[in-house]
Amino acid sequence: MTAIVLQAINGLSLAALLFLLASGFTVTFGLMRVVNMAYGVYYLLGGYIGLTVMRATGSFELAMLVGGCAIVVLGFFVDRFLIRPIGSNHLAQVLLTVGVAFFVGEVCLAIWGGDSLKIQLPSYLRGSVELPGGIYYPKLRLALIGFGVFAALSLWLLYHKTQIGAVVRAGVDDREMVTAMGINIDLLFVLVSALASFLAGVAGVVGGAFLTLNPGAEWDILVLALVVVIVGGLGSLEGAVLGSIVVGLLDAYGRWLAPDFSYFVLFGPMAILLLFRPTGIFGKEH
Amino acid sequence: MNIRVIGIAVLAAVLALVPSVASEYWVGLLTQILIFGLLALSADLLLGHAGLFSLCHAAFFAVSAYTVAILQTRYGVTTIPAALAGLGAGTLLAAIFASAVRTRGVYFILITLAFGYIVWGVAHRWASFTGGDNGVTNVPPLTLAGVQIATKAHYYYFVLIVLALALALYRILTTSPFGLALRGIKSSETRMRSLGYRVGAHLYVAFVISGFYASLAGVLYIYFNRFVNPVAAGFPYSVEAILMAIIGGTGTILGPFIGSGIILILRNWVSGFFHYYTAVLGLIFIATVLWAPNGVMGLIKSLRSGNRGEGA
Repeated sequence: MTAIVLQAINGLSLAALLFLLASGFTVTFGLMRVVNMAYGVYYLLGGYIGLTVMRATGSFELAMLVGGCAIVVLGFFVDRFLIRPIGSNHLAQVLLTVGVAFFVGEVCLAIWGGDSLKIQLPSYLRGSVELPGGIYYPKLRLALIGFGVFAALSLWLLYHKTQIGAVVRAGVDDREMVTAMGINIDLLFVLVSALASFLAGVAGVVGGAFLTLNPGAEWDILVLALVVVIVGGLGSLEGAVLGSIVVGLLDAYGRWLAPDFSYFVLFGPMAILLLFRPTGIFGKEH
Repeated sequence: MNIRVIGIAVLAAVLALVPSVASEYWVGLLTQILIFGLLALSADLLLGHAGLFSLCHAAFFAVSAYTVAILQTRYGVTTIPAALAGLGAGTLLAAIFASAVRTRGVYFILITLAFGYIVWGVAHRWASFTGGDNGVTNVPPLTLAGVQIATKAHYYYFVLIVLALALALYRILTTSPFGLALRGIKSSETRMRSLGYRVGAHLYVAFVISGFYASLAGVLYIYFNRFVNPVAAGFPYSVEAILMAIIGGTGTILGPFIGSGIILILRNWVSGFFHYYTAVLGLIFIATVLWAPNGVMGLIKSLRSGNRGEGA
């Protein structure tokens, strides 16, 4: 019984991390119709930069801020000078951003080396707390769940209760109409993309403390985030929340019950879901 | 005798002469180029002919290579049944993964990517069966009718013969009514549908045949390489196969092999003096998309006619 609860919390903490990455991917796709495979490497680079900042200053908050902002800058240049010129061809977008991911991943390897690195935690996140029922659980993972819920709530409020969110939702539904209403959609793209990049960078710093940073981690996390997006439906924030929870829990229970086949446990239900709903739970045809 | 027949005859003669003039290094590299060209060609059956962008072809390639390797090393199965089982396993997997043709566009890309990851994950994690990251080693050389094909030159000839048959079949397939229907689906799915074509069934069959060709490449690969590890199932192999097809020119037979030649020769050359080859590969991806979206042939054509390529 205790193990079942523990695995549930494990799953939810991974879900929180995945949400940070998947929400950016799904909303930028919904708005800009851009498939950006470089989000995995945004995560990894953000994490490595956070690691360096953490080592230099000892401040985890600063590490998250700098990691996030560095990715905003990188993401802006990738969007403006690489993705924009090629237009709306998904094949070209995938190949291009895979190229960016290979390049940046290799730069990370050259700078930070091939070993698995972990970001040192600030003292208030170390150790564990006792939960009701006598379960001891690492503080970090609980904090991560809290952070994920906070991020999801803020994004939900931003998306559904503000003027900017209304314009973004309108843009997801009908981009041409929004442009015709005199709204500067380019500026909106830049803002949304910056927010998504920031979240990816922050996710990297958090993930660097929670998992490890190593070459190849960018693809592992990207594929999980993509499954989240596929299951939830491209372009849907609610889908990203639901998808993260499903994938997080499946991953945790899969690793626990069938370690050799955890990838099957993760992708099998996805494949079956897609046979019945090819666009995911909340998705629309694109 | 038309130009095409003469061209093929000259090409075949040149390829057949390579081992007598080139060193073993080049024969080995050329064999690799042919094998990965076949993998690229298999992905291009979907991309260039049916307009589907699959990111899981390394899965069929790896499953057939693993099947052969495990049957030969652990169960002492001989070459022919092992190779047939490899082809069968890869094609069967393709018949399962082909359910992805229910989706289009981005969903198809992302789903095939996730499917490919399942295979990589199993190869990587199920260490008691697949050998984990070390993979399966010491695969014996190809043995046909009691004769071992152990030298690089002999294996090269074997690959050439298999390729000649496979490519002839590929040509027949793509020029058949079925192949033409695929091209029709690529240019306008709605029109083909309203003409009464069963679009889903066509794409499903194309996917399975494409998986068969990738499996064939996997069988040729395992007897060349003599070991296999999870790298063969990895995402980079799948996406590189697509890149090769695009660099050489999609929808052609020669294109994927030209692309494979360019990428592999570049890799061998760059790796000799630069440790971070993947960074160079990343730049090739970016440069191809930005400046040569129609491949080398398209680039030459557009430079000749004086107008620069304008994005994909």
